[in-house]
Amino acid sequence: MNVRIEALAEATCVIPEGRLDFDAAPGFQEALERALGAPGKAPAALIIDGAGLEYVSSAGLRAVLLAARAAQRAGVPFALCGLQPAVREVFDLSGFSRIIAVHPDRATALAQVQPGRA
Amino acid sequence: MVLSPVRQLTGLVSAKIRGFAQLLTESRGPYARAFENLIVALIIFSVASIGVESIPGLPDWVMRTLHVAEIVVVAIFTFEYLLRIIAARNKLAFIFSYQGLIDLVAIAPFYVGGFDARWVRALRLLRLLRVLKLQTHYLEKVVEERTRELAEKNAALEKAQAQLKAELEVARSLQLAILPAAFPARPGCEGAARMIPATTMGGDFYDYIELPDGQIGLVIADVSGHGVPAAFFMAVARTNLRELAVRHTDPGDCLAQTNDALCAQNPLDLFVTVFYCILDPKTGVLRYANGGHNPPYVRRAAGPIESLNGAGGLVLGAMPGVRFPTHTVQLLRGDQLVLYTDGVTEAFNPTEELYGTERLVDEVRVHGSGTPAALVERICQSITNFAGTAPQSDDITLTVLTWGAP
Repeated sequence: MNVRIEALAEATCVIPEGRLDFDAAPGFQEALERALGAPGKAPAALIIDGAGLEYVSSAGLRAVLLAARAAQRAGVPFALCGLQPAVREVFDLSGFSRIIAVHPDRATALAQVQPGRA
Repeated sequence: MVLSPVRQLTGLVSAKIRGFAQLLTESRGPYARAFENLIVALIIFSVASIGVESIPGLPDWVMRTLHVAEIVVVAIFTFEYLLRIIAARNKLAFIFSYQGLIDLVAIAPFYVGGFDARWVRALRLLRLLRVLKLQTHYLEKVVEERTRELAEKNAALEKAQAQLKAELEVARSLQLAILPAAFPARPGCEGAARMIPATTMGGDFYDYIELPDGQIGLVIADVSGHGVPAAFFMAVARTNLRELAVRHTDPGDCLAQTNDALCAQNPLDLFVTVFYCILDPKTGVLRYANGGHNPPYVRRAAGPIESLNGAGGLVLGAMPGVRFPTHTVQLLRGDQLVLYTDGVTEAFNPTEELYGTERLVDEVRVHGSGTPAALVERICQSITNFAGTAPQSDDITLTVLTWGAP
């Protein structure tokens, strides 16, 4: 799996591509930690753009959950966007989409995580 | 045969000399190292003195000193050459080896032409080859040393790995041993299950719990990740669920209590998806609650297949205080309940295709009229055929129950 980080003015986007399975989860988790930055240097918001995600295993869900918790502790709005139907189903089934904001695409996510609206 | 005293004596003396020669030239000890350093210093000195000699108009006393030094150097080189021959096991092989020839070439010109012959002076520069030879010799020694160290470390690693593997095997058998061996005996009810771990330690489990009022609790669960942490979390989850199931006869309540217990003791932030249902074997009433798990299927005896997809809660261990709605479904005589983990539907084939729910539902539709054990076997076979040479990336767990009314 390949992970890119894009730092935008309104949010930092983490963009995983491929299969987020047991082997890929540690690298993804590390990328999320990096994107969230050191205390005091946190981004305005953290968004996972999952358009390129083909598969998410439970270990991948755990990495997302840990990032969501860390973001919450740091007071950084956190959201997922662009999930393909099969991946979206995993988030729905596990109940994660009930505790983490999931948006259809990046534009919507960016609009929703604007400071003051999150 | 008796050796004459003289031969005994010469034998003893030659053995001593050989031992001395080996001590200086072959062993790794401090004497050999000191001797080697001396030789290197002499080579450098001798090559330098050849350079000095070539300076025209040197005073006589310098030339005389260099002459004497040359004799001493050649004497020591000759002594060393003889020692190496004595120390060598196969003397001829040493004399005609690359090293042996270079040693000879370094001293031979002196004996052939004396100190003054001009061509011999040029030949003495061949001593430089000895420096190269020594360097190669030194490098070989270093490589040999490092290779030995590496082999030792590898052996230690292999030993540690074997030990770890043995311990994991023990842990694995303990883990498989806590899975229930047989479905509780109830008239008309029949159950079968299988768990195939992906790595040596799985995070999946299933359980049958005998509840006080004759009802049976059925659990299927999948811990995030695998390996030792997942196995530990699995054991904790199973124990908590078992204990709480006896006190909370509503499946949703039981999951909520289990979730809170797990959240309070979850240092690794793992979580577990759990489907929990309680069957009343007398009436066929099935009550269930779902904590983020794949919805099971009910294959009606009449044919249709239904998904038990009543709204569920979050996976267990992720967040305390979560509620899990309880749903009720009435089983009819001959209905079959199929519980599974995502290792079944997310099995990959070599072209990275997923096994998927459709293949699972097809198997249930076609083979669901047999015994639970037969259906479990069919589905496992179907997954194996589908996956082919693709490695199994997740635990595969299946539980099938038929309710037949007493």
